[in-house]
Amino acid sequence: MIARKIMMLGEIGVGKSSIVQRLVFDRFDFNYKPTIGVDVYRYDLPPRPGREAMSLIVWDTDGNFGEAIFRHVYMREASAAFIVGDLSRRNTLDSMAKLGAGFREALPGRHITFLLNKVDLVEAALRMEVPEPLVPFAAPVVTTSAKTGENVQQSFIDSADAIIRRDQ
Amino acid sequence: MPSSDETNSPRPGPRPAPLLTAGMMLAERGIYGMIWVDETLTTVARYGRLVDFVEVGEPLTRELLPLVGLEDEIRALKDSDGRVIELPGIAIVDNKGESPKINISVFWSKDEESFLVVLTRYSSRSDLEVELSRQIRARLMAEAEVMQTSKELAKTNAELARANRDLEEFASIISHDLKAPMRHLRYIVDEIETATEGALSGSAISKLSELRDQSRRMSGMLTSLLEYSSVGRKEEIAEEIDTHGLIHAIIGSMRRTPGFEIEIAGFWPTISTVVAPLDLVLRNLVDNAIKHHDRADGHIRISCADKGDTLLISVEDDGPGIAKDQHAAAFLPFRRLKPGGAEGQGMGLAFVKRWVEAAGGRLDLESDPSLRRGTTMRLQWPKMT
Ligand SMILES: Nc1nc2c(ncn2[C@@H]2O[C@H](COP(=O)(O)OP(=O)(O)OP(=O)(O)O)[C@@H](O)[C@H]2O)c(=O)[nH]1
Ligand SMILES: [Mg+2]
Repeated sequence: MIARKIMMLGEIGVGKSSIVQRLVFDRFDFNYKPTIGVDVYRYDLPPRPGREAMSLIVWDTDGNFGEAIFRHVYMREASAAFIVGDLSRRNTLDSMAKLGAGFREALPGRHITFLLNKVDLVEAALRMEVPEPLVPFAAPVVTTSAKTGENVQQSFIDSADAIIRRDQ
Repeated sequence: MPSSDETNSPRPGPRPAPLLTAGMMLAERGIYGMIWVDETLTTVARYGRLVDFVEVGEPLTRELLPLVGLEDEIRALKDSDGRVIELPGIAIVDNKGESPKINISVFWSKDEESFLVVLTRYSSRSDLEVELSRQIRARLMAEAEVMQTSKELAKTNAELARANRDLEEFASIISHDLKAPMRHLRYIVDEIETATEGALSGSAISKLSELRDQSRRMSGMLTSLLEYSSVGRKEEIAEEIDTHGLIHAIIGSMRRTPGFEIEIAGFWPTISTVVAPLDLVLRNLVDNAIKHHDRADGHIRISCADKGDTLLISVEDDGPGIAKDQHAAAFLPFRRLKPGGAEGQGMGLAFVKRWVEAAGGRLDLESDPSLRRGTTMRLQWPKMT
């Protein structure tokens, strides 16, 4: 079975761990347990037309790394990144573009997905806007909620497909 | 190279050296663990509790997830003398409960012709440390939010100030620019009268004169609007003023019927303040009380109290009063409360309130004709130092 490495990047408290926990164990915890260092998870995708069975090795990083993560050995050979922001805290959205640029520079050509998380906390009207600094990346921008599960699994499936397309 | 059945037995030799014994103790307590891996990156042996989850005969990366993707780098170790791949502070999380933070080191052992993977327990963080980190981060998150909010607030305030300024400028421009055509209109009325000398009917003449009156009234309103929009834009300088003298001077200059009484009460100190606006405000309040009174023998009581950094002045009349649902409208520009009520340019209280607020004071209206007659205007006027 093929396995690919995916990075979870984003400011502290935006919900990186919560998204992964929802994906892998289908659970959600309101309590905030900061990630210290890195937690590595496996998420297995069943085969489907055009893609064989695949393991995503998800690296849930510590938001405290900031942009220093790009100089870290952790980044080696990552196939894709999820860059997460918290829709209820605007400044976390501002740093998404910085992390996106850092990732592009460290690992050119790898797939990026921007996740605007905690969509359950904001009003419907806010859901539609793509934050302006993210536009130039031409990368998917998806609103998610680790709490309700909205778009969580689908965005990982899409990322897996994109990784496979690039590998071929 | 050890074979797989040696996995959990001491090695090598029958009598382990002291150092080795110590190492074995550490491995058994889960402080570190070792994995031997062949050139196809298949696990051939393991030792120590920390590596229990790795299965012999399986690809190394099947369970040692952090090494996924690094296969080529690991193979390359064989040709790069003494190089080590190190991945510190990683937990492999599964659904089976607590997963320890570990450091992973991979190197090529020439002697054993195999790769060695050493796992060591990462200086385990106590619950206290994690809790501390949680609290610090929660505070950081909250602070970032506050910063964001206050940045937005400052922006909104600036926008509001600009909008206000724009509005004032707009009011001042239109009122200024409309004055000339308005005057022109009256001029045309005069011209029509001259041109049609004697030829107009009585009703036409009276309509013309009404046109002139209305346009004059409109000019008056424009003048007021111009003044209204300029309130607070001039920097006023504070002066010493004897308020007792001031109020007497104001009342002395007011026209009123002989039966109309004005009473001055309370304590009127000498204060330092912007005098012109105070004069204007008081004059208008007293003037309103007289003008809107419905009886010739009305009574007005003006009193003052010194509240430290403000003066509390109230102007109390026994006129018809203002219905509760009209209070808000009373402060709007160009509103006359009852049709046919006292004239003026209609800026009345709106104007006064603007002066008061520009000086940093406050003006409130109290009146409820359903209970009793009369209106009380309460003015809080700041002293300046
Ligand atoms: N309402 C809501 N809360 C969420 C959501 N995702 C995460 N949270 C909450 O946000 C807090 C932080 O979530 P984490 O997943 O720990 O954040 P993180 O990005 O992993 O943070 P670090 O590990 O410190 O970098 C927790 O209290 C979560 O319960 C979401 O989609 N909706
Ligand atoms: Mg986390």
